[in-house]
Amino acid sequence: MDNIVEVRDLCVTFKTSEGSVYAVSNVNLDLAEGKTLALLGESGSGKSVTMKSLMRLHPPHKTQITGSIHVAGRDVLALGNRELSDLRGKDIAMVFQEPMLAFDPVFKVGDQIAEVVMRHEGCSYEAGRDRALEMMECVHIPSPRKRLDAYPHEMSGGMRQRAMIALALACRPTVLLADEPTTALDATVQIQVLLLLRELQREFGMSMIFVTHDVGVAIEVADEIAVMYGGRIVEQGPVDQVMTDPWHPYTQGLLGATVYPNMDPATRLVSIPGAPPQLYRQITECAFAPRCPHATDECHQPLPPPTQTDQRMARCIRLPEVAGALPRASVLPQ
Amino acid sequence: MTAFLQVEGLQKYFPIGKNFLGRPTQVVKAVEDVSFATERGKTLGIVGESGCGKSTTARLLMDLSPPDQGRITIDGQAYGKGAGRKPITALRKRMQMVFQDSYASLNARLTIEESIAFGPKINGASDREASTKARDLLDRVGLDPDNFIRRYPHELSGGQRQRVNIARALAIDPEIVILDEAVSALDKSVQAQVLNLLADLKAEFDLTYLFISHDLNVVQYVSDDVIVMYLGQVVESGPAQAMYSTPAHPYTAALLSALPALHPKDRKTRAPLEGDPPNPISPPSGCRFHPRCPFAEPMCAETVPPLADIGGGRHVACHMRVPGSGYPEVRPIVTVAPSPTA
Repeated sequence: MDNIVEVRDLCVTFKTSEGSVYAVSNVNLDLAEGKTLALLGESGSGKSVTMKSLMRLHPPHKTQITGSIHVAGRDVLALGNRELSDLRGKDIAMVFQEPMLAFDPVFKVGDQIAEVVMRHEGCSYEAGRDRALEMMECVHIPSPRKRLDAYPHEMSGGMRQRAMIALALACRPTVLLADEPTTALDATVQIQVLLLLRELQREFGMSMIFVTHDVGVAIEVADEIAVMYGGRIVEQGPVDQVMTDPWHPYTQGLLGATVYPNMDPATRLVSIPGAPPQLYRQITECAFAPRCPHATDECHQPLPPPTQTDQRMARCIRLPEVAGALPRASVLPQ
Repeated sequence: MTAFLQVEGLQKYFPIGKNFLGRPTQVVKAVEDVSFATERGKTLGIVGESGCGKSTTARLLMDLSPPDQGRITIDGQAYGKGAGRKPITALRKRMQMVFQDSYASLNARLTIEESIAFGPKINGASDREASTKARDLLDRVGLDPDNFIRRYPHELSGGQRQRVNIARALAIDPEIVILDEAVSALDKSVQAQVLNLLADLKAEFDLTYLFISHDLNVVQYVSDDVIVMYLGQVVESGPAQAMYSTPAHPYTAALLSALPALHPKDRKTRAPLEGDPPNPISPPSGCRFHPRCPFAEPMCAETVPPLADIGGGRHVACHMRVPGSGYPEVRPIVTVAPSPTA
């Protein structure tokens, strides 16, 4: 099997007091070894939910997951609790948006990294601390030996994020999941962390899934990009192709709504009218149709299978007609 | 000749920690000697990273926290405490603010109509006038009055709530609107709607904007002039297009080259700056940027660079740009090639 991650027909439903929330529907993902996939989407599009499913981090009694998830040849949905703990942090690790919440505030950073190594590799505390030091050096934390004994609150935002990356990579996972790891960082620090992730990925030969809402960040790190909307992947393909020739009207709208450097202040932004859908019912038709400038009656029928080529996929019934409509050309009505 | 809005020598130190006499042991120099001016109908952008004092500057202008020092004039009229100054309440009739958190900035117990009509009523409008005003403004910001006027903030989406906040800011016919990260929390597709709306409203009501954001692309798109702040001080100011094409301060240049690429072939290969912005409690001596500056010389750690005029309406606080400052060589301004648009 070439793919390190294979997700088939993943559906995630949450039970809430207000009814079921159909957060993710029919998601298929393939990630080749050593590659980076960016999940791009707005808030509520299901990108983080998809990612957390890969590690089964959702509360079990409130969540229904169907479909199949294979990571490094293992069937994640079939694992028991013990096997799941073996998987998490060892084969697959995660970096979160807010490192202050991911670290335990009352333990030293070095000890928290050592604990992971001790748990998964059964080594001594000293060996764990040695690995922690090595990892702190890997992520370029200045004076790493001193920082091993620092508490999370004693570090700056950028340094905490580096420490969390060190923690995630301590057991050399084959897959790294990064959930908006740079969103809370300042611009000059964000680019440092993005470059670091790229460097470490090369060094360790990891595969990476990167969740972001920022088109620029996706372009910086990803080989492949999957655009999510309303709990589904609406478009997927190599990053350069999707970004320069978007097929799906939502991707087109998203790119048109993004402010680029040196844009003429007189040009109006292409805005997508309306707001993203509520997922309190199972949406079988195109979730974007109510906001789509190209929508016709057929768009409100159940979705047909996606249009698939060798490298690319898009889910739009009117695809042949709308694929050529470039973002700037399709100025949507206000 | 004075500008329409003129701010001079704005300063705010926040005390933290007190000794047994109740005197502060440390201060955060949040805003130090910040001055700027803008003309009527223009947009002034303020950019900088977190902790640089851009939001504190906005709050000082509105007197949400009182400035330690500084002078604010609109059309030559000074506001604030002191002789010859009009009270802050008079300033707030001319200047209003929209905040980043659209939910926290609306009273959850008031309907949309009550929130928008609140300002006009305080300022002497009758209930009927205030209500008409609220309906007009809701319509103007793209929300159907019949549908929205009786709703509560929690019933609205983020984009809708931010439209309500804009309507509320406009309800007492201000001349200046401060937009403090007003579009930062919104999704891209909704952000574009609100930016378009802001451009329309500005033209229609002849507004002057102070647009505060950490997003350099958005600031460039909306602003006529931009000021760049770093650790409580202005490091560079001037017309937006000139500053973005030829940044004069090394920090401005670094911010611009830290922007993510627009095409995979333009990916960054190295970060322009190392490390994080320092703690504003004990900022570096001399030029506050010198520990991260690739061009720093020993003198940068000793002398605070003045905000010097470099022509073309531009000002920069960097020794390297000032002949006779003692910096070894006056360097030419680096030209950044315009990034190819996607």
